[in-house]
Amino acid sequence: MREVTFAEALGEAILEEMAKDPTIFTYGEDIARQGGIFGAYKSLLGNFPDRIFDTPISEEVIYGSALGAALVGMRPIVEFHFADFLFTGIQSITLQIEKIRYMTGGQGKLHLLLRGPDGISKSAAAQHSECIETIFMHVPGIKVIIPSTPYDVKGLIKTALREDDPVICFEHKMLYRVKGPVPEEDYTIPFGRAEVKREGNHVTVVTISRMVYESLKAAEELEKDGISAEIIDLRTLVPWDRKTVIESVKKTNHLVVAHETWKRAGWGAEIASVVQEEAFDYLDAPIVRVGAKNVPMPFATNLQDFVVPDYKDIIKAIKQILR
Amino acid sequence: MYQIKMPKFGLTMESGFIEKWFKKEGDMVKEGEPLLEVSSEKITNEVLSPVSGILLKIIAQEQEEIKVGTVIALIGEKGEKFQEYQLEEKPERTVLELEKEEISSTKIVSLDTDRERRIKASPLARKIAQENNLDLSKIKGTGPDGRIEKCDILNFLSFTSKEKEFKIEKISGLRSTIIERLSKSFRDAITLTNITEVDFTLFKTIIKEKKVSITSGLIFVLARVLKELNKFNAHFNTEKKEYILFNNINIGIAVDTDKGLIVPVIREVNKLTIETINKQLKELADKARMNTLRETDIGDSTFTITNLGMMRTDFFTPILNPPEVAILGVGRILKKPCVVEGDKITIREMAYLSLSYDHRVIDGADAARFLDKIAQYIEKPEFK
Repeated sequence: MREVTFAEALGEAILEEMAKDPTIFTYGEDIARQGGIFGAYKSLLGNFPDRIFDTPISEEVIYGSALGAALVGMRPIVEFHFADFLFTGIQSITLQIEKIRYMTGGQGKLHLLLRGPDGISKSAAAQHSECIETIFMHVPGIKVIIPSTPYDVKGLIKTALREDDPVICFEHKMLYRVKGPVPEEDYTIPFGRAEVKREGNHVTVVTISRMVYESLKAAEELEKDGISAEIIDLRTLVPWDRKTVIESVKKTNHLVVAHETWKRAGWGAEIASVVQEEAFDYLDAPIVRVGAKNVPMPFATNLQDFVVPDYKDIIKAIKQILR
Repeated sequence: MYQIKMPKFGLTMESGFIEKWFKKEGDMVKEGEPLLEVSSEKITNEVLSPVSGILLKIIAQEQEEIKVGTVIALIGEKGEKFQEYQLEEKPERTVLELEKEEISSTKIVSLDTDRERRIKASPLARKIAQENNLDLSKIKGTGPDGRIEKCDILNFLSFTSKEKEFKIEKISGLRSTIIERLSKSFRDAITLTNITEVDFTLFKTIIKEKKVSITSGLIFVLARVLKELNKFNAHFNTEKKEYILFNNINIGIAVDTDKGLIVPVIREVNKLTIETINKQLKELADKARMNTLRETDIGDSTFTITNLGMMRTDFFTPILNPPEVAILGVGRILKKPCVVEGDKITIREMAYLSLSYDHRVIDGADAARFLDKIAQYIEKPEFK
């Protein structure tokens, strides 16, 4: 199978759907001319000039206008530039976009996709490095997808563009250049289906996005010590695949949840809580979470490395519960 | 209103262990109907209801050890009030149980004790333990803080399945009372054993003629000896330092049953013919083996005989049956070459008699005299 980058797969998904559906259009900061700050829209350059355009720096207006467009039947794709900036226009999302379908008793469809980069890069500091997916998992009314591979981003974005609900997609900055097999023919990936990236017997690691790669690296290292880790990429957080996770925990009896976002009240706590509710009798050790330390992201690279978890933290967590 | 009290099965019985109630509170009972099962250190017996009526109240519960004479239940008419009776006499626990209670109540000084006592085990370990009926307190945890994990349970299970050759039996209330009592007697008494070899040739011939058992013959002979040497027909009370000598001779006979050793008693042997002894002995042994001994068949023995002659034991050192002061052990009768009068060697039927006695009240010379006397009666038997 041919290999494309994560960014190329994303671009393919948008272009293919735009070609099929004239209501789809996409806008945001620095996308039409620059191709996105991390090159996410590079492959879109020169296509649909009237349906792909740049906006001024005004998040409240960008999200609010998307809400209006969706309500009159369009399918806007909004690029949020940095996940951190979602806070700037958060009221449009959490108070309006996430609630309209409920408050109108389902009269208004709200097919709308918010997408953009999140997570660390090199020294982007506290306001350009955040992973804030937990907030959107917490406030009801929006579907949350977090692909880790080119294949997944294409399949999930396509599903999002055929949904009638608002969807938010977080794409890790460090994944845009990652290459992977993507079929040329059309396909979609349903929400709420996790993927077992690696099978194992001793411990289950539930993760997403960049941490999938860290988890796989940890599993490789652990294999040398005879520890067999099962790595599950949830791919979507709302909804998330309880069945796959619980089946796995019933097999391995041990669970580690690994995410780049803060450990404190991060979504890993939700997974841990559900698993202990539904599979208590299968747990042979406490569930351990791996997440960032509870501080804003430092600028210094050594401090960033200290705050953000990597494969070594996952190994440590697994060894802690497996001894 | 009728008060059911803990019965006394024998002279030495101080408390009874309630094995089982056959009736529930509110049940109708008829006079003579089995009401409950009580075991003493010697015997397990059904207690029959002395009256007809409704079992109003069970005061002492199953598995409780209750002092003799304590009210354990009330029988009366339907609807009869009994509150005021209930509190009059509470079941008294034995010293041992009181001690236990004291220990546990002093232990719960700190509120944390209970929490500390909680066994740490993972949910999965608990589940597997439960499925396999395992007691977590028997399993050592190797997890953090000693937490029991799945691997600990599996290790335990594979160990126990490998070690299936043995099984551990819990000692029940009755048996543990026997153990305590025998241990106490063993610690208190200074037990010595004298042994002599006796010629049973003539004795056996006459026994055969009379169609009675060897043990019956020995009991008959014993009665004669005990009458002459009264100090052996006695009890010794360690606490009160009382040495009680009896006129009547009640011989306890150690009987091997599948429930363990039981010692029924033949009373006033000194007044019985050998034929009566034989008849009574046979009845008692049968009852013991059928587990149908009554309270009157047990207890108050003044001397005990234990015969291992039918098995392959030549001589042994019997343990005293407290509070008695002596016990006679009988070994197997064997044909042996013996030197008889005129320095001739001839075949005789010989057996060893072992006399264990409490040296606090009986001296070695007394024991020697006892053995000499009984040997004479056996070697020149007269059953009149």
